[in-house]
Amino acid sequence: MNGLPQAVLVRRGAYHDSVALMRVSRALSELPGVQAAMVAMATDLNVSILRELGFGVQEAGPGDLVIAVRARDTDAAVREADRRLAASSSRAHGAAGDQPPLTTRSAAARGPADLVLISTPGEYAFFEALDAVEAGLPVMIFSDGVPVESERLLKELAEARDVLVMGPDCGTAVIAGAGLGFANVLSPGPVGVVAASGTGAQQVTCLLDWAGTGVSHVLGVGGRDLSAEVGGLSTRRALRMLDDDPATELIVLVSKPPDPEVARALEAEPPRTPVVRALLGEGAPDLTQATEQALRALGRPVPEWPSWPAWRGTRPAPERIRGLYAGGTLSAEAALLAGGGDFVDFGDDAYTRGRAHPMIDPALRVEALGRAGETDVVLMDVVLGHGADPDPAASLAHAVARTPATVVIALIGTEGDPQDLHRQAAAFREAGAAVFTSNAQAARHARSLL
Amino acid sequence: MTLLNAAPRVITVGTGLLDEALRAQAVATVPVEWRPPLPGTARALERVLSDPRREAANELAVGRLVSARPHLVGVRRASEVLDAGTFLHAGPPITWERASGPMRGALIGAMVLEGLAADEHEAGEALAAGAVTLSPCHEHAAVGPMAGVVSPSMWLFEVRDDEHGGTAYCSLNEGLGKVLRYGAYGPEVLDRLRWMDRVLGPALAAALERTGPIDLRSLIAQALQMGDELHNRNRAATSLLLRELAPAVVAAAPAEAADVLRFIGGNDHFFLNAGMAAAKVSTDAARDVPGSSLVVAMARNGTDFGVQVSGLGGRWFTGPAGVPDGLYLGSYGPADANPDIGDSTITETSGLGGFAMAASPAIVRFVGGEVEDAVRATRSMYEITLTEHPAYQIPGLGFRGTPVGIDLTLVARTGLLPVVNTGIAGRVAGTGQVGAGLVEPPVEAFTDALRALADLSK
Amino acid sequence: MTVSTHARRTRAHVTGAASTAVRPVLEGQRRPARVLATFAEGVYLEVRTDVEPAVIAVITGEATRLPNSVLLATPLPHVTVGDEASVGDRVIDLGPLSLGVRRWWDPSPPLGRVDRDRLAQVAAVLGDPPGAGLAGDGAVELLADSCAKGWLLGVVTAAERLVGLGPGLTPSGDDVLAGLLVALRHLGAAAGTRRAVWLADWLAATVTYDARTRTTPISATLLHCAAKGEASPEVIAVLRGVAGRQALEPALRRLHRLGHTSGADLAQGVTIGVRAVLSLSGGR
Repeated sequence: MNGLPQAVLVRRGAYHDSVALMRVSRALSELPGVQAAMVAMATDLNVSILRELGFGVQEAGPGDLVIAVRARDTDAAVREADRRLAASSSRAHGAAGDQPPLTTRSAAARGPADLVLISTPGEYAFFEALDAVEAGLPVMIFSDGVPVESERLLKELAEARDVLVMGPDCGTAVIAGAGLGFANVLSPGPVGVVAASGTGAQQVTCLLDWAGTGVSHVLGVGGRDLSAEVGGLSTRRALRMLDDDPATELIVLVSKPPDPEVARALEAEPPRTPVVRALLGEGAPDLTQATEQALRALGRPVPEWPSWPAWRGTRPAPERIRGLYAGGTLSAEAALLAGGGDFVDFGDDAYTRGRAHPMIDPALRVEALGRAGETDVVLMDVVLGHGADPDPAASLAHAVARTPATVVIALIGTEGDPQDLHRQAAAFREAGAAVFTSNAQAARHARSLL
Repeated sequence: MTLLNAAPRVITVGTGLLDEALRAQAVATVPVEWRPPLPGTARALERVLSDPRREAANELAVGRLVSARPHLVGVRRASEVLDAGTFLHAGPPITWERASGPMRGALIGAMVLEGLAADEHEAGEALAAGAVTLSPCHEHAAVGPMAGVVSPSMWLFEVRDDEHGGTAYCSLNEGLGKVLRYGAYGPEVLDRLRWMDRVLGPALAAALERTGPIDLRSLIAQALQMGDELHNRNRAATSLLLRELAPAVVAAAPAEAADVLRFIGGNDHFFLNAGMAAAKVSTDAARDVPGSSLVVAMARNGTDFGVQVSGLGGRWFTGPAGVPDGLYLGSYGPADANPDIGDSTITETSGLGGFAMAASPAIVRFVGGEVEDAVRATRSMYEITLTEHPAYQIPGLGFRGTPVGIDLTLVARTGLLPVVNTGIAGRVAGTGQVGAGLVEPPVEAFTDALRALADLSK
Repeated sequence: MTVSTHARRTRAHVTGAASTAVRPVLEGQRRPARVLATFAEGVYLEVRTDVEPAVIAVITGEATRLPNSVLLATPLPHVTVGDEASVGDRVIDLGPLSLGVRRWWDPSPPLGRVDRDRLAQVAAVLGDPPGAGLAGDGAVELLADSCAKGWLLGVVTAAERLVGLGPGLTPSGDDVLAGLLVALRHLGAAAGTRRAVWLADWLAATVTYDARTRTTPISATLLHCAAKGEASPEVIAVLRGVAGRQALEPALRRLHRLGHTSGADLAQGVTIGVRAVLSLSGGR
């Protein structure tokens, strides 16, 4: 098969977002006569992946687009790539004579808006966020890789303008039921969440949903908000907002332990609303326990968290745990509870430069699963909800079924999610994995297998 | 806090996936068609945008630009305001060696006109030897269309800004065809200039003494509503000005009135120069605000396209002037065209010309394209400007103000360059006008200026 | 059921948002439904069920978000009155569409606390809304007086006379009662006025008892919703304005603009409710 002709084209300065490129790559790969195809921005990561696929890329930088195909008819494949790229970029064009807004500033000037959601590459997110704050609009910065000085500057400016800055690296928010970024379909209810961790908040809210307890709002603040450099400005504002919100009866604060100075500042203005802290780290309650605390604080019963045991027995003598995670906080929590092993957070900056997040693009984890051996216990998360892979089982279950390793999956989602929680659980179980809705339980289970 | 009261209406910037996810929830979104900024500008953008002075500085600068109230107060002989031995020219500074055909032609014509040379050869040698000092109009509170050459015996419109007190000058328009500003210097060109010095200048000066100051802001606002964009189409504005001037010209210079009025009435572009002085006095009001990224001048000398920025004082940032794309007169074609030339881009800098094309459907007949192209051009300029002009409005866009106040940071972020309408000069000295069209400014003029502003950022 | 498996398979899957009020019907067993009425901005579906809301409004972004509505993210399908549909098992099958919910909103969001002084202040400025369908009607006056006095018999008598009174899909009498019910529930709870909530319970029981036979199906469903405190965002916004959580005047203006007289009628009910809660919280 490697005898097929190949073509590698570099388009200078042609920009397309990583999700659009992933979709084009996928569509090309599925064409008859195409053996391999990748269309991506030429970041270091993508160039090294291209090299592994046998494509040499010369003289291209992160601002350039690479089209690489190995196919019977490379010209036809490249033409198809161009056609799909053109189709994906003409999406936002409106009627003739209409000028689509090119900046947040322009969009904000056009009419009423309540929030700005930014998911540009991190190095440019600051410009758009500044527009939002200057227009007096709250902003959620989904992008990661924003310098901490820019974050600090934005949040100070936001204090002066009395607006909330969620992020950078804010993966999740839910405002009055509307899920922004990676978020789950949740019922309205009494619990408000302030989260410095997106997947941490998703775990808590999904378990609450299973317990029949809804959520008023989830306000993300970004992973660094409670650091000394940023000073918890967004956390304090988010807490005040939820404290003022009549729908919120209890606040869950999900974060790593804050900087001591910041912690003191937080304690100096305690909300009137009761707060349950899920402060991740050694000796602290895990996310599942924090959720249970919240339920007890509301006087509601704590249910059994659903899990589906593996039908195929454990492989002989598992020796070590390999954590293949999409969520950083879930990875950290699992690493702590598993008591050792190799954990990789594929959602980290290093793996998402010029690539879609692993919750959308399964390629890197499928590859990692392929490398697992029969003495491995693979512990991984599958996160459902808005923005995530529309059918993660379709992308991952095959790799799960094929690996000689024992697989344990933390399935984070709600019954209302578009992917259908039960169908996903059944598919992964069918592939031989043990499936848990609690990441902590999944991690403990993995540990018990050693 | 109102954010939490209901599902938000969301502006989405970046990956389309997150916008789709919101739409699937029946959440109203406004997607931004985002692109990375111009290559090599990210660091400079970060510095300039982080400058705590920027927002207020730009507000102040563009506020001054749009609040200027230019009035035509008089007409003066250039000798009254020009240093002896100096000729002014359009665009950023230029030497004889680097000057293009039409610029050289205009300078030669001025030498002969002023009696400093007997013929074109002598003039060329004198100019090459540095016999006169060449200096940009922009550095003398003046502007000039095309070659923009001003020599002592030429007459200038004098425009005063009643709001901020500034004064700006622009030469009198010679008409179309073979004219000095397009680099023609034949006998009929020089004869016309002598007539303008002897008859037109004094008659207009006397007429303006009778009329008193003429409010150009309101005249421009009216002309926009009558189909001018005030750069390549000035027919309405010229008629309006003529209406103001005619009785006074007759009263002040009865013997010459018929010639004077015929000259003005026969030149659809007569107003252009007054409008340019109005634009100049307005943009000058916005100069020298520390931290401001507002563009206060765009000008071309036929070789370079130059930009000046409020926060960067009198510094020029240049790139090669492009060749306009448009319609050609007669048998002329692109090969006959000189690179872009003239200070008339001051109209675009002040929110007119290419920026106001939507007001001027007829303009597409001068510059090519369809009416929708004109509308699209104006709409796109709102993406790179700081505000909308409170007085200059476009009927076809629901009386929306014209886009005004080019912001360097928005140019770099959107990659969108100012739309410029322009006349096209022949590349050979002495040819004159060969066409009219649109021209794309060189991107490096803007990115270099941005980087310079970044170096001064706090 | 007339919807065949085959027909279902060919339906286009679309998504949207829904009021949690329709959740029991939507997540319950699949039931047949039919198109009751169609408008430019929405379709009313009558579901064959004893569970309320029995009428579900499938709407587009321009329509009022009634408490029984499901908001489509895509354009409305072309259907006509009498067309078969089905609701349940988490989907609405309507014409060529199979509609799933991706977002839930609460049509009865908690109001927080409001004190008596604020209520008094608001009651003083709340005039009679312009254009109310039953302005000056004896039954409305009886309703207002009886509520203010906490006189249950008078309230019930007036309510009996008002259910279904007036023309249109949502008769004015129903709108007044709905506005009143929602105001009594939310403001009663917010002000800690138990007698107002008690009155709301009785009034709710009265108007929902035979609403299905006394008024139009859509109006009956809206009365059932109001009985639980569920309303459109325009009504909730006015209550928030009363509680001082947002500007009252613009919220009132937006409410008044609803429907022909619906908005004014709802506002009249809210006004009666505000005065009643104020007067019932008096002698603490």
